[in-house]
Amino acid sequence: MSGPHLTRPGVPGTLAPRWRLPLLLMLLACGLVIATGLGTSFLSPTRVSAALIGAGSDMDEIIIWTLRLPRVALAVLAGMALALSGALMQRALRNPLAVPSILGVSDGAALGVVTFLYFFSNENNVLTVSIHWMPVAGVLGAIGLAAAIALLTAGDPRGRDPLRLILYGVALSALAKAAVVLMMILGPVYRAGQALRWLTGAVNAAHWSDVFVVAAGLALAVPVLLLLRLPMRQITLDPASARATGLGVEPTRAALLVLSVLLTALAVSQVGAIGFVGLIAPHAARIFHGQFSGGYLLSSAVMGGLLVLGADTLGRMALPPHELPAGAVTALLGTPVFLLLLLRRHHVTG
Amino acid sequence: MTRPAPLLFLLLCLAAALSLHLGLRFYGPGTVWSALQGGTSTEEIIIRTLRVPRTLIGAVCGGALGLSGLLMQAVTRNPLAEPGLLGINAGAAFAVTLGLVGFAISAPLPVALLAVLGALATTALVFGIGLALGPTGGDGTVLLIGVTVAAMLGALTQVMLLMDETALETLLFWLSGGFADRPMTLLGVALPLLLLVLLACALLSGGIDALRLDDHSAQGIGVGVTRLRLIALVLAALLAALSVSLAGPVVFLGLVAPHIARRLTGPQHPFFGLAIITLLLGAIIAVLADILARVIVAPGEAPIGAVLALVGVPFLIHLLRRRRGGPA
Repeated sequence: MSGPHLTRPGVPGTLAPRWRLPLLLMLLACGLVIATGLGTSFLSPTRVSAALIGAGSDMDEIIIWTLRLPRVALAVLAGMALALSGALMQRALRNPLAVPSILGVSDGAALGVVTFLYFFSNENNVLTVSIHWMPVAGVLGAIGLAAAIALLTAGDPRGRDPLRLILYGVALSALAKAAVVLMMILGPVYRAGQALRWLTGAVNAAHWSDVFVVAAGLALAVPVLLLLRLPMRQITLDPASARATGLGVEPTRAALLVLSVLLTALAVSQVGAIGFVGLIAPHAARIFHGQFSGGYLLSSAVMGGLLVLGADTLGRMALPPHELPAGAVTALLGTPVFLLLLLRRHHVTG
Repeated sequence: MTRPAPLLFLLLCLAAALSLHLGLRFYGPGTVWSALQGGTSTEEIIIRTLRVPRTLIGAVCGGALGLSGLLMQAVTRNPLAEPGLLGINAGAAFAVTLGLVGFAISAPLPVALLAVLGALATTALVFGIGLALGPTGGDGTVLLIGVTVAAMLGALTQVMLLMDETALETLLFWLSGGFADRPMTLLGVALPLLLLVLLACALLSGGIDALRLDDHSAQGIGVGVTRLRLIALVLAALLAALSVSLAGPVVFLGLVAPHIARRLTGPQHPFFGLAIITLLLGAIIAVLADILARVIVAPGEAPIGAVLALVGVPFLIHLLRRRRGGPA
């Protein structure tokens, strides 16, 4: 990774800016091929590439297309959604420490899913409605919790400090966690089993349908992001200057936050709670790409995809036959990054 | 209210008595009394071997956690300091898990020692980073550091448990926190230690009272501020570790008990009196929460952490919303 001299745009770095994004995309492609090849039976990159373009052996194609690729694709797409969500939230709150996972959005999604399982599954361990409603429940839970946090912050007598938003998030996510635990105990075991499998936050049970849901959500977000291009530049100014450039600060902030919550909810409802991606990936993109140069969001997204792909691959390769959940790996990576950011921010401002 | 302590002590006795009677099955006062006298019928054995230990452990852990929170809050002037939220319980739990998975340490005393080491290291880490950030960070930042460190330690603990399934079976129950079915052996160490810390609180009381002023004024009237702070934090970590090795990580008690104690006594109460009231309140809350945990999802048993979160979160939000300089 490059040094901090690349953070400021216009400073000549070791790599010309126009090459940064293609380099990242190439890394992602390589990562995809390698991660697909890794597993109980190792497939060389050439065999993987051959199978991907339909020229491999039948056996390889089955392994890759039905077993490995959905998982790998889901990891990349969920990572992209989480990273984008983090980048948007940080932009909206003008605070590099704002992370959807710390805000408790993922716990809200978990509460939504467990509530759904609680009400819509019967004694025979069968859902009374289609399983495809489960992500919807997750999204609703996440939005509900985010709305509660927003209400608390808006009504805060000490003013709308972004730090207080995070603290309310910590408090409410603890409440959501407690509610999840209680519901899992209240409901008979078959519900707990279903909920637990989902809550551990892993991409191992991936199907192509999951992949398509996340891909569709991301595709829907792209035009909105394109529309928000200019406001997202303006909101990086201080509120007064941003207003002077003709920006409605509050509506823009609200729009970005809503989009951010939706993206997190989308990812979390499919892969469970994988934390800290929204913190690490945008930060890596800030260092590598620069926050104010074009393509920062894309760069964040690719970093997020790489990160979750790496975490998931590491998780399944590190200690066979055990599989570490990707969320545990990202938490281990994310905490030091978060603490370093806190310390560095202090040195800049204090 | 002139002297709440005797009243609280009565309340604690009442809660403990209730805890012996209530549960999946209600036992009459006669049965409970004869059980305490050493009766041998099934009910009496249930009461003596299940309900008495969990009541005692609950009371000791609640008192220890409350006192731990009070010490932290007093010397850091941070009303949000609490061993559970700041990750100190998670640190102790991590050390215990590491000991079991890595070195097969499972005897009660070494486990308690490991918990103490983990708690001390985490306290040093969290408050060290908080100190490096200086006063600009504010109360919330330390809480944020603690929550993040707790998340990391939780992930590490989870990874270790995944690697070692026997450890998972041994520890999963303990890690979820609760007062039921815990070994009584540690209680003989825990209770004297709790009383010793209380004695230390009596000795430190004057200095801690002086700390309510700013550091300079406290230094001016002859208080060794840094040393006092260090001692108090070590004591707080010790108490947290004690309760973790007894009952597993339990959150929010250390936040709720000191704040109610302050409400009861008013802002200028001497620290030692406050410590006793916090101790009693912590014990009462823990015993009541334990009863609640038995009752609300009967015939199952709710984790005490979930019950306390339901009480503690509204409390935390209330504290966050309160304006600075309001009633302490």
